[in-house]
Amino acid sequence: MEPEADVYPLALLMDELKHDDVSTRVEAMKKLDKIALALGPERTRDELIPFLVEVAQDDEDEVFAVLAEELGQFVPFVGGSKYATVLLPPLEILATTEETLVREKAVDSLNTIAKELSTDQVLQNIIPLIERLANADWFSSKVSACGLFKSVIFRVKDDSLRKDLFQLYSHLAQDETPMVRRAVGKNLPPLIDLLSENPDLSTNQDWEFISNIFQIIINDNQDSVKFLGVDCLISISKFFNIKNDPSHSQELLNSAIKLINDEAWRVRYMAADRFEDLTAQFANNQEYINELIEPFLNLCDDNEGDVRKAIATQIPGFAKLINDPTLLLTKIIPIIQNLSMDEIEDVRAALALKVNNIAELLTKEQAIQHLSPILLNMLRDEFPDVRLNIISNLKVINDVIGIELLSESLLPAITELAKDVNWRVRLAIIEYIPILAKQLGVEFFNNQSCELSLSWLWDTVFSVRNAAVKNLTDLTEIFGSDWCRDEIIPKLLQLDSQLLENFIYRFTLLTTLTSLSKVVAPKVIVDQILPFIVKLADDEVPNIRFNVAKSYPVIMETLRKDSENHTALINDTINPSLQKLCKDDDVDVRFFANESLEKCKSLISA
Amino acid sequence: MDADLDTDMDMDLDMDVPMEETGTDGATATTLTAGGSGNDGGAILDITSNKSSTPSKLTTSSIGTLDGWIERLGNCEFLSEEEVSKLCKMAVDVLQFEENVKPISVPVTICGDVHGQFHDLMELFKIGGPCPDTNYLFMGDYVDRGYYSVETVSFLVAMKVRYPSRITILRGNHESRQITQVYGFYDECLRKYGSANVWKMFTDLFDYFPITALVDNKIFCLHGGLSPMIETIDQVRELNRIQEVPHEGPMCDLLWSDPDDRGGWGISPRGAGFTFGQDISEQFNHTNGLSLVARAHQLVMEGYSWSHQQNVVTIFSAPNYCYRCGNQAAIMEVDENQNRQFLQYDPAVRPGEPTVSRKTPDYFL
Repeated sequence: MEPEADVYPLALLMDELKHDDVSTRVEAMKKLDKIALALGPERTRDELIPFLVEVAQDDEDEVFAVLAEELGQFVPFVGGSKYATVLLPPLEILATTEETLVREKAVDSLNTIAKELSTDQVLQNIIPLIERLANADWFSSKVSACGLFKSVIFRVKDDSLRKDLFQLYSHLAQDETPMVRRAVGKNLPPLIDLLSENPDLSTNQDWEFISNIFQIIINDNQDSVKFLGVDCLISISKFFNIKNDPSHSQELLNSAIKLINDEAWRVRYMAADRFEDLTAQFANNQEYINELIEPFLNLCDDNEGDVRKAIATQIPGFAKLINDPTLLLTKIIPIIQNLSMDEIEDVRAALALKVNNIAELLTKEQAIQHLSPILLNMLRDEFPDVRLNIISNLKVINDVIGIELLSESLLPAITELAKDVNWRVRLAIIEYIPILAKQLGVEFFNNQSCELSLSWLWDTVFSVRNAAVKNLTDLTEIFGSDWCRDEIIPKLLQLDSQLLENFIYRFTLLTTLTSLSKVVAPKVIVDQILPFIVKLADDEVPNIRFNVAKSYPVIMETLRKDSENHTALINDTINPSLQKLCKDDDVDVRFFANESLEKCKSLISA
Repeated sequence: MDADLDTDMDMDLDMDVPMEETGTDGATATTLTAGGSGNDGGAILDITSNKSSTPSKLTTSSIGTLDGWIERLGNCEFLSEEEVSKLCKMAVDVLQFEENVKPISVPVTICGDVHGQFHDLMELFKIGGPCPDTNYLFMGDYVDRGYYSVETVSFLVAMKVRYPSRITILRGNHESRQITQVYGFYDECLRKYGSANVWKMFTDLFDYFPITALVDNKIFCLHGGLSPMIETIDQVRELNRIQEVPHEGPMCDLLWSDPDDRGGWGISPRGAGFTFGQDISEQFNHTNGLSLVARAHQLVMEGYSWSHQQNVVTIFSAPNYCYRCGNQAAIMEVDENQNRQFLQYDPAVRPGEPTVSRKTPDYFL
């Protein structure tokens, strides 16, 4: 009986892995860890792994992908790191497959396993594996090899052995297929970052290799290789900054400028996209930063929209590095002016994302004179995302130019946006109102924005109406219950009856009053809100009736906190109304009324 | 406007469907699932074996389960196979008691094709308001083409079971075993669940979906259009709808037909259903005392489109259809006084994407 039960898992797996249907084989492969657990470490090593070596040579990519991923977490199942090297053969086979997805998963798993191996195991097993892959004929193996260096480089303490590895890597950098060179370029930055984490490990000899590989990458005739040089440059510069070694700075700066001015736009795009990070590496030498200004201006004026879009988000960051008020006004502001009128809307929207941060670098007068006019224009942009991005970051401007000027110059533009055809723009404005109100004060608000805040309740889009309800609630918290009683509730209760013929607006009114009851004084509820809600309990639309039921517990919650006793009101008004709703014709009304009745009971007994 | 309809028809022709080749009896379905996850699959798979003979009421515990599912589905997490099985069984017991012509009272918000564009369905609720606070009528085509058919149809069915009086889901031509094998739902189920079981359960459930609805006795709602074999709404009531969508006949026509500029009946380029002219729509509305036929089924660039001098309206609720058509979507709100308002909307902002820019090519992936 027993031995049979033992054989069962492996036999079953083999069976399922021979099934005609790929999805069955994939499912079986996903259960691999359970099979291994059932078999135990010894039989997993002796029977399961050899079997998987066979599978890894003869199935579909879908199955390979799962196998490659599963094996990465297999170390405990084969008996711990001592035996982990048995996992390498199947993964080595998978690392040579043509399908990128499978290869990547195999390389990830190999790297995971390598972390658990002893240094001896790395030297004796992983390094030869890398050498085999790197010297294979087909590009796929070499690409996989590139991804494995990061697991070994920092564990090799022997300088000459590490030199051999770098030699192998630079050999790959000269491979004839661009796929391999791309893998070299992609894997170099993480490799260098590891050296930065262990700054005493690498020798000058190592850095000669790295420097050569970097030169090969940035002089590649393929754009798709060359642009990877930008990230390599950042990583290299970071290393020398950590080492406090400025001897290579001039050289690196020259390479940076060369990449920024590259004739291939994809390379320029990459430089623009990483511009802040790239230039920050030269921040300790103001002269170098100044040398980068011209190339920066070129990127802002690039022929390719995508390059301009990338650089547009980097402007405040670089302007901070320039750290020169005169240059800011003579060079940066004109560039912003130009980009704010760019013919491509995405460029303008990208600029709008961060441009407000420029205000932090200006004095109040400069901001008013130079930045405000640009922002005002952008607030009138025909593309809503431009306007939205400016408004979402208005606080920075407020901090610099002050609320009076902000409201004088920007508020009219904001009011205009409140009527935008795009509902997300309207929504963004509404969400900004409480912040604005806090700074403006009640008097200013009553004159300027009260009507506006009420008008959003009757928007055609639910999310805008819902935000309007929240806005009025937030405003009541800021301005107080009396303000709400005098300014808001009377206007709500005197609404034109034609509007309320549509159940949507009765629903909105009900939601508003319910939400306000959380923040107003109990007397306001008793005098104004509750009488209106009780009337709605007889509404002909069931959706209104069950929302009346839902609002009773909310109202009770506030009444309960009052020092005055409202038992009579609860017993004579709320309870009878809820009881009636519990017998409603509509199933949902009955459900929510019963639910609310329970809630109200527990509120009273609490 | 009509030009729109004409050119856009190419997008949704479905005429390349091998209508005759696939069996209608569900035999394909059974063989496809036989090799699936195995253990007592039969009981889980057959969602119709324990049908209730009377409309069942939701218990407190089933309400709790449903609310849990709806919350997860609302976050675009799909249910497990066992949960789908439970859901479909509950749904059969709701849908089997609905009429072929489901009577609906106002107010209600009427929606067209969704086609697995889950995030855009959530956008729809942001525009029209959440269910159950707003009443909804969906006119079919929940699955195929978009990447989230499973989540979309599971969500709508769960809402239907939880709030049967607040939401109505009609059958579209894509709610069928044959069409879903060609246009994506079958493959999506296979990819997400590893077997065709979930596809089998949902397509079995589709047979129970009502095929038309009548809003306040005035607006006749259905997925496709009219049929030469149907002159009165009573004739729809007499159909036996609990079956796979047939290749021809009145039930097929209701799910496949399109309005056309030419008068009378015409042969549909889709290979199923007919085209019908203004004379037909006018006569049908007159005979049945209707003010309007509301239908979906065709991509329209503005999200809605009038035809036949406001005798017919097409509503389409999948913005940027197939993630590339660039169309707006729309829904139609009908208030308690029969006033109609169309709300148009654009695709949802998808999670993980910045709010700034339209999709620009990512050269560096």
